[in-house]
Amino acid sequence: MKAEARPKIIGARVQRVEDPRLLAGRGAFIDDLNLPGTLHVAFCRSDHAHARIVDIESAEASRMPGVAAVITAVDIADKMQPIRATSRMADYYATELPVLARDKVRYVGEAVVAVVASSRYLAEDAVEQIAITYEPLGDAIDPVAAAKPGSPLLHEEAGSNVIVTRTFARGDVDAVMASAAVRVGDTFRMHRKTPTAMENRGYLAEYDQGRRALTLHSTTQVPGIVRDALVEMLDLPGNRLRVVAPDVGGGFGGKAALYPEEILVCIIARQLGRPVKWLSDRLEDLMSTNQAFDEIVEAELACDDEGRILGLRAEVIGDVGAYSVYPWTAAIEPVQVVSFLPGPYRVPSYRGRVRAIVTSKTPTGAYRGVGRPISTFVMERLIDMAAARLSLDPLQMRRRNMVRSEEFPYKSASGIVWDRAGFMECLDGVATAADYQSLRQQQAQARAAGRWVGIGLASYAELTGLGSRIAVAPGMPVNTGTESASLRIDSTGAVTASFGIASHGQGLETTLAQVIAEELGVRVEDVEVIHGDSAAVAHGTGTFASRSTVLAGGAAIMSARAVREKVLEAASHLLEVDVGDMDAADGRIFVKGTDRALTFRELARAVYSEMGRLPREVREGIELEATRMYDPYFGTSTPASHLAMVEIDPETYRVTVTRYVVAEDCGRVINPLIADGQVQGGVAQGIGAALMEEVVHDDGGQILTASLMDYVVPTAAEIPAMEIIHMETELPDNIGGFRGMGEGGTIGAPAAVANAIADALAPLGIMINELPATPERLFRLIEAMNTEQPE
Amino acid sequence: MKPPAFEYLAATSLEQAVAALADDEAKVLAGGQSLVPMLNFRLLAPSILVDITRIPGLDFVEGDGDGGLRIGALTRHYTLETSALVQTDFPVLSAAMNHVAHLAIRNRGTIGGSLCHGDPAAELPGLALLLNAQLKTTQRTIAATDFFASALSTILAEDEILTEITLPALPPRTGWGFEEFARRSGDFALAAVGATVSLSGEEVSEARIVVIGAHDTPLRLSAAEALLTSRSGIAAAAKAAQDQVSPSDDLHGSADYRRHLVGVLTRRALTAAWQRAEGSAP
Amino acid sequence: MIRVTVNGVTSEHEVEARLLLADFLRHSLGLTGTHVGCEQGVCGACTVLLNGDSVRACLCFAVQADGGEIETVESLGTVDDLHPLQKAFQEHHALQCGFCTPGMLMTGIDLLRKYPLATDAEIREGLSGNLCRCTGYEHLVQAIRSAVEARNES
Repeated sequence: MKAEARPKIIGARVQRVEDPRLLAGRGAFIDDLNLPGTLHVAFCRSDHAHARIVDIESAEASRMPGVAAVITAVDIADKMQPIRATSRMADYYATELPVLARDKVRYVGEAVVAVVASSRYLAEDAVEQIAITYEPLGDAIDPVAAAKPGSPLLHEEAGSNVIVTRTFARGDVDAVMASAAVRVGDTFRMHRKTPTAMENRGYLAEYDQGRRALTLHSTTQVPGIVRDALVEMLDLPGNRLRVVAPDVGGGFGGKAALYPEEILVCIIARQLGRPVKWLSDRLEDLMSTNQAFDEIVEAELACDDEGRILGLRAEVIGDVGAYSVYPWTAAIEPVQVVSFLPGPYRVPSYRGRVRAIVTSKTPTGAYRGVGRPISTFVMERLIDMAAARLSLDPLQMRRRNMVRSEEFPYKSASGIVWDRAGFMECLDGVATAADYQSLRQQQAQARAAGRWVGIGLASYAELTGLGSRIAVAPGMPVNTGTESASLRIDSTGAVTASFGIASHGQGLETTLAQVIAEELGVRVEDVEVIHGDSAAVAHGTGTFASRSTVLAGGAAIMSARAVREKVLEAASHLLEVDVGDMDAADGRIFVKGTDRALTFRELARAVYSEMGRLPREVREGIELEATRMYDPYFGTSTPASHLAMVEIDPETYRVTVTRYVVAEDCGRVINPLIADGQVQGGVAQGIGAALMEEVVHDDGGQILTASLMDYVVPTAAEIPAMEIIHMETELPDNIGGFRGMGEGGTIGAPAAVANAIADALAPLGIMINELPATPERLFRLIEAMNTEQPE
Repeated sequence: MKPPAFEYLAATSLEQAVAALADDEAKVLAGGQSLVPMLNFRLLAPSILVDITRIPGLDFVEGDGDGGLRIGALTRHYTLETSALVQTDFPVLSAAMNHVAHLAIRNRGTIGGSLCHGDPAAELPGLALLLNAQLKTTQRTIAATDFFASALSTILAEDEILTEITLPALPPRTGWGFEEFARRSGDFALAAVGATVSLSGEEVSEARIVVIGAHDTPLRLSAAEALLTSRSGIAAAAKAAQDQVSPSDDLHGSADYRRHLVGVLTRRALTAAWQRAEGSAP
Repeated sequence: MIRVTVNGVTSEHEVEARLLLADFLRHSLGLTGTHVGCEQGVCGACTVLLNGDSVRACLCFAVQADGGEIETVESLGTVDDLHPLQKAFQEHHALQCGFCTPGMLMTGIDLLRKYPLATDAEIREGLSGNLCRCTGYEHLVQAIRSAVEARNES
């Protein structure tokens, strides 16, 4: 085979290697692992939002059939070091992260007592026998009220329920606002979401008493982070504490933090010397998995009379729930709202101030998009509001203000540096693909016929694949800016690549194999990708923040190139030709232009087993393996533009998304099937956020959305077909040319749908400033309008 | 979310089942599609579940020879949905079945189970009311209008089992409409309205309107029905329907919004029913 | 004592009355392909065929299946020899994390047997009892559509 004919593997629609096992029901998810003698945990969780624990009566539970232990905070206090999500950020209070509530509870659903029994059925029977006496301590439910002095304090030692305050500023925005030709503003509200992975969280710990070694099987996105934290908490060295993520049924950020339950199963397994499993049920998931997207944003945009943005200012309140989650802190989401608010636009003056308020609700953490679904919703609404005021087309308004290609690198108003990326290309791309002008004509015709049809655009840019220069969460002490790949050709010629990332639906077993196959010269099916195992590499964190393709992909290229050099060197000795005259492809190393070749198996045998085929000085140092660590330093900029078209039933107010188009720039696409799937899944969650999903608490902090009947995620019937275009702008400074793209769909969709609804309702003079825009909310807006303006 | 412990009896006759129900804490188990979630949430703790699905002779759909139907209480929703008899004689029932949850639930859930569960947002109780069903039990025959007591409650005695539903024939030239609004495909209705309009010459011989999800039981809207003397009465009937219901607020919709929906859905259902009665719609 | 035929194999088991069919399949028989996502009857991940009809295995007790025939995802194809519907899922990238997949497949089998599925809207309606949080459903619709076409041709 000639070098020119090498198959292009990167960019091909390769079918996923993880699929056959998942399709055949042969995956290994956490609850598929059955170890003999496993004990099962069920929790007695708080039914109070904020209360002192006066008494726990658990004697009856201890006597129930099958019960091995009943455990409270007191029982574990001396078996672990406590943990807090610290940060170098000023004006931040790091709350504790209790494993079981001690002294008081701070949200409904917080674990107070653990029952350990021979089955989950029996454990739940025993939980019913536990009686906890509480003394209510006053509510801190509404974040605005909770921020006021004198309201009940969730963490007394913090002195306030405001645990983060931060401001980003550029220029004198107040002066700019005062003199601007056009000012638009509103108070925007995004209501709380929960990630709702289809697989609930689950943890299984086994303690090897002989080796004094602990293995935690965890539905985690971040096995490396969990391992490193548990090493500190449990005082075990890293070589005797292993965290393994088996097949994981979706995460979306909800499985990207250290959880109390996973600490607890480790403690119990070590104490009892038996495997201990806790599997969240859906009720627990909806109460205890970290939630997100709960912000109130008061924002104002100033423009000149031609629609050029002059200034932006915002006050953000983030309702972060009861605790600061590890390692991201409670700041991760609300701070991102203000740092990303200026979007992909030139904003000369800016002030964004954020306050994160603890409330007696489930803690918030990372959820797909983190902050940017809110910042994009707000900014894109403001852009449309300004365009409407100026009678400018929303597309024109965006074109006028978006950072242009000659301006990169562009430092945003909040200090983010946008690297070269297809900002304008995506906007033009979506307009062309959707045939924007003809959509406007269709809309005009529909309106003339009395139909409520709207078109919404949303543009944004995100930082993905973050390197060591930028922290995922402000001031966090955990380095997530690097990722390693350890590539090895063993003595049988088989290729194994180990990573610190943890694929849980992203198809990284396939895309990373594609990268290695192309770089090394083997077939995709020849590469076994190991991930989700803290023992696989010296340091790894996991899969979150749209990073894995960029970081692990980069490390894969580096390690594959290093191994390829050794392969070719060994082959040059074996075939007695210059390295430059050889190439590798399809699992063979060959002399270019000839049929002389070696398979990887033959090569490995010659290197490792067949003594005498290589001289000693070559053999030493030619072990067919390499570990490389990649640091993209700043990370990559990923822009996109979304277009949504909706039709609203003018009587029931049901919103139907009739068209959805995305143009995004994820750089070089490794696998178009997978890239499309990532966008489609993200958009579906964004449509859910825009139209239906909302965690609801009552005034007493009780969670009302504790089932999938009540926390309403979209089904196939509510999600439209989607058209997706990948712009693939070049990325010279990045080794693979890949930009991260896992979260983007969820960032753009709420804004695009909100703008489309607002556009549909524009003839009525109705504004959309609150999501989800449920039929109930639209009904109230329309009723209010009818009351104000009687016919 | 594991159910609490209970005894289980797979009854093979109605007599055996009725005897087992003498236990105060006993519960009838049919398709289980409403009961099992409640058990998984541990909202109920029955001493014994009396499974009646193995009792022979309760799973049938038969014509009564007169345009009416007899339906066994253990008939599954899917059977009803696809029954040719139902499609021919009571197309409104077929149409409503399409809105019941999802195939896997319709495969398993029984007609009798849904009626006895008495969820005010479920379709079948409303349809029973709309179609003047007679509900035959191990003790007596009850008119659908008398059957539903309040939310999730019927007038059945603890040891009484529903065995058969009979639907009397609809008058000739009867058109129907069924309109439902739910948040998602297959969810319980925020509101739904079923209607029939029977014409005799140019006159309305009978109109029936039933609303679901807007009251603690399904509700027949007689005041609205009375206003439907001509096609032009549809708007007034819809307004009356809206005024007649007093739904409650919940997570998915306020009372005001549900009332609004009842008005919209009533108008749509009546319009469809009228068109079908006239023969101007299929 | 119950007697069930699961994927063609008949066996007898002593089970507690409250044991959910899903737990019976997964833990008593080791057929872990059937997944449990909610135990509320909403997500559809646990869908299996009972006497040929798709049912939620979390809304059924093992004792209710006594004398019945059950088919789980393991009855379709193997890793080396996938069933045509499984192949369609792979070709169209209709799964990401794979957790909802067994339920989607078993629902798909029943839908394909029972409904014309003439339009995408009908396919979406049919799939609406199975939640997927990864795919955004588009590729699932494409996979089912290709299976409908194959069915209609044969």
